[in-house]
Amino acid sequence: MKVIVNNRELELQPQATVETLLGELGLQPRYALVERNGEPVERSRYGQVELREGDRLVVARPVAGG
Amino acid sequence: MTEKGVSVRDPLVIAGREFRSRLITGTGKYPSFEVMREAVVASECEMVTVAIRRIDLDAVGEAITDWLPEGVMLLPNTAGCQTAEEAVRVARLARAGGLPDWIKLEVIPDPRYLLPDGEETLRAAAQLVEEGFTVLPYVLPDPVLQRKLEQVGCATVMPLAAPIGSGRGLKLRHAIEIMVEQAQVPVIVDAGLGAPSHAAECMEMGADGVLVNTAIGMAGDPPAMARAFALAVEAGRMAYLAGIIEESKEARPSSPITGLVTQERA
Repeated sequence: MKVIVNNRELELQPQATVETLLGELGLQPRYALVERNGEPVERSRYGQVELREGDRLVVARPVAGG
Repeated sequence: MTEKGVSVRDPLVIAGREFRSRLITGTGKYPSFEVMREAVVASECEMVTVAIRRIDLDAVGEAITDWLPEGVMLLPNTAGCQTAEEAVRVARLARAGGLPDWIKLEVIPDPRYLLPDGEETLRAAAQLVEEGFTVLPYVLPDPVLQRKLEQVGCATVMPLAAPIGSGRGLKLRHAIEIMVEQAQVPVIVDAGLGAPSHAAECMEMGADGVLVNTAIGMAGDPPAMARAFALAVEAGRMAYLAGIIEESKEARPSSPITGLVTQERA
């Protein structure tokens, strides 16, 4: 299954969830911020939200800033 | 009156939440996360700003959240947003991902002076308040806009003293003075402060707090500068509460003008 993450195409296993994706990227769910097809995903649902072929995701996080 | 006693009895209250420190710091521009952490500790601030950015998939690197001291509240900002829609999108993303539902609202279309767009800021603020966010908007010192932001339910107003990162100090003092005078919610002076004396000046004027980033992060010794700002903010606040004397054009002697040793006549 192909999804687009931060403008890059990634190959994931079928039924991968947001949590699976974060694991693949080496990110802890804590403060990993996820938008799926333009809609923010609640952190409590990262383990349940299954991704679909062609999903467009933004994965962000807090960084240093003023 | 002890140094600590004053700050304990006089907390900064934003949206019902009390902060002992009236200094908020930004986390940008430090030479390292380690120095940033030391400076945050030295500042004794209880809230720090963070920006929200896409993760670079080729260089995930360390998370700033792993370096911040326990108990310090994160205040996500919408830096980089140029329209109300962009700012609302970032705020929603931050909250959904587990960050606080407080947002430092910045809508800045101008890259040279980084001046905020008041109209877009007001539009985003109204939307975000409606969605349950606690909104702290970054604004030009504009007492009319201040009223409107208060009316839509903003928790503070954050006027700039001078352009972001310029270190020029309280250049827009007179407009901010009017804002302080008519404030219904805390006025936090944000941006442009370069030295602790600038922060003290804001506090002596009656501002409720200050937000400082560049002046600490780019100082020769950021933790020492953080401490200096903390002391200046506390000194300025204490002076404001103590009541600063009226200025006088002429001198007013501090010593008795009668009974002089050299006064030979009665």
